Amino acid sequence: MKDVAVLGVGMYRFGMWSDVSNATMGREAGMAALRDAGLSFRDMQAAYVGHIFAPVMTGVRVMKEFGLTGIPVQHVENASATGSAAFREACLAVAHGIYDVVMVLGFDKMTAMIQQSTAGTAPESMEDAILPAAFFALWATRRMHERGMKPEHLARIGAKNFNNGALNPMSQRQADKPVTIEKVLASRMVAWPLTTMMSCPIGDGAACAIVGRADLAKKLRPDRPVVRVVASSLQSERYARGHLFQGPVVGPAQMTIDTSRDVYEESGLGPKDLDLVQVHDAFAIEELEYYELLGLCKAGEAEACIERGDFELGGRVPVSTDGGLIARGHPGGPTGLAQIWETTLQLRGEAGKRQVDGARVGLCHMMGGGSVCVIHILTRD
Amino acid sequence: MPDANRPRVPIKPGFFTVPDDPAEPPKFLSSRCDSCGEYFYPRRAICAQCLSEKMTDVELEGRGTLYSYTFVHIPLFGSTNIEHMEGYGVGQIDLPEGPRIQAPLAGKQPEFHIGLKVVAELDTLREDGGRDLVIVRFRPVPESEVTR
Repeated sequence: MKDVAVLGVGMYRFGMWSDVSNATMGREAGMAALRDAGLSFRDMQAAYVGHIFAPVMTGVRVMKEFGLTGIPVQHVENASATGSAAFREACLAVAHGIYDVVMVLGFDKMTAMIQQSTAGTAPESMEDAILPAAFFALWATRRMHERGMKPEHLARIGAKNFNNGALNPMSQRQADKPVTIEKVLASRMVAWPLTTMMSCPIGDGAACAIVGRADLAKKLRPDRPVVRVVASSLQSERYARGHLFQGPVVGPAQMTIDTSRDVYEESGLGPKDLDLVQVHDAFAIEELEYYELLGLCKAGEAEACIERGDFELGGRVPVSTDGGLIARGHPGGPTGLAQIWETTLQLRGEAGKRQVDGARVGLCHMMGGGSVCVIHILTRD
Repeated sequence: MPDANRPRVPIKPGFFTVPDDPAEPPKFLSSRCDSCGEYFYPRRAICAQCLSEKMTDVELEGRGTLYSYTFVHIPLFGSTNIEHMEGYGVGQIDLPEGPRIQAPLAGKQPEFHIGLKVVAELDTLREDGGRDLVIVRFRPVPESEVTR
């Protein structure tokens, strides 16, 4: 992908904001991103909006908060990967010269969804009756069987992400003192071996990115490095024996391997070039598996790398530097854009206490409903 | 509570059989591709592997092998069955023909292990207008019944 840059980013902190509307969260995240870019909404030539839980057309309605300028507004939805998929559409449009500057906005209110939901009283199918966390727990049981993983490995990922989140003012979960492996293990069991502190919370929030031509980035903000989007890939599943067609699925492991291969090829970069990585860590077992599937370590080595602290801040390649889905939160629509927010700040050297020294290359990985994988690679000039 | 005299209906039609004899295990409504021979659950019109439209409806026996399992420490959604209040097992079950199915498991966690032989049974979620609303779950096959 050529000459596409992240011109600005903004967030409305993820949390349980039952009294705050999507319009307010979306407007504040969007205005923060415009200010960060040094642009006005009048400069936006198109908008890509993502949400999962709000009614049809909520994206266009929320966009009216910024003013009615007649620009094309397009909804993009891909479950957890909604924000990442909307970001991709924006990047493709700029890369192909259709627009110079566009807005990507994601927001969601899971608290409203939970209040309205009939879940718990009337599932409509067999799969609805089962807690979604169970499907990720099945992956963990399998890993323990095949590779000798222990719950302690998952707890160390949970503790790392909580402690990273404590360094991020936009993180939903803010631990008041360092979180230990023991504390994560002792938190409430959800679906064995996954505990609440190995799992993402429900929440509300918004995140925004302004995407545009890379030459504009230099002109608008000559005071800081240009953050480029150098590769983007979105893939769906390929059939293989044992494929699961029903239930909230984890998705075939091969999908992350294939999608990452695609972005490595497009960018000419490899896993060894990465300075930091964000993944779809809705559950700690996912993050552990993605270490290997993204090529951060060899198959079967994740446990040893965790024990060495390879993926912690200060380690070989820090992962989920902003707290990940587990601590920073996972409202849905904005989640993938929170990864772009974090990676952009890190590459600019503006990530404060969680800054990865000299970060030049970052990768953002999201899964949508276990059925799509979206990966972007961002670099600093 | 389950009542042998109440009719049983599936929570959603089109996925499994509800035999008249309560002792008979349910079967899975599946498809076989006439072109490449691959089996699929649930039913589909086009083969996911070779894209053939020549698919035949088949019913697969509810017997398989546990590929993975967990135990959920939260009551089963939508259930008024007292048995589900303290949580429930969930498994991925490989049928011998190929399909892998995710479903609740009967029993407690110490009874589960990867490779366990399991058999399908209907499980009452709740009463619904004089009928029992049922789902499919799998239970361990007692060692004495394992034939292979």
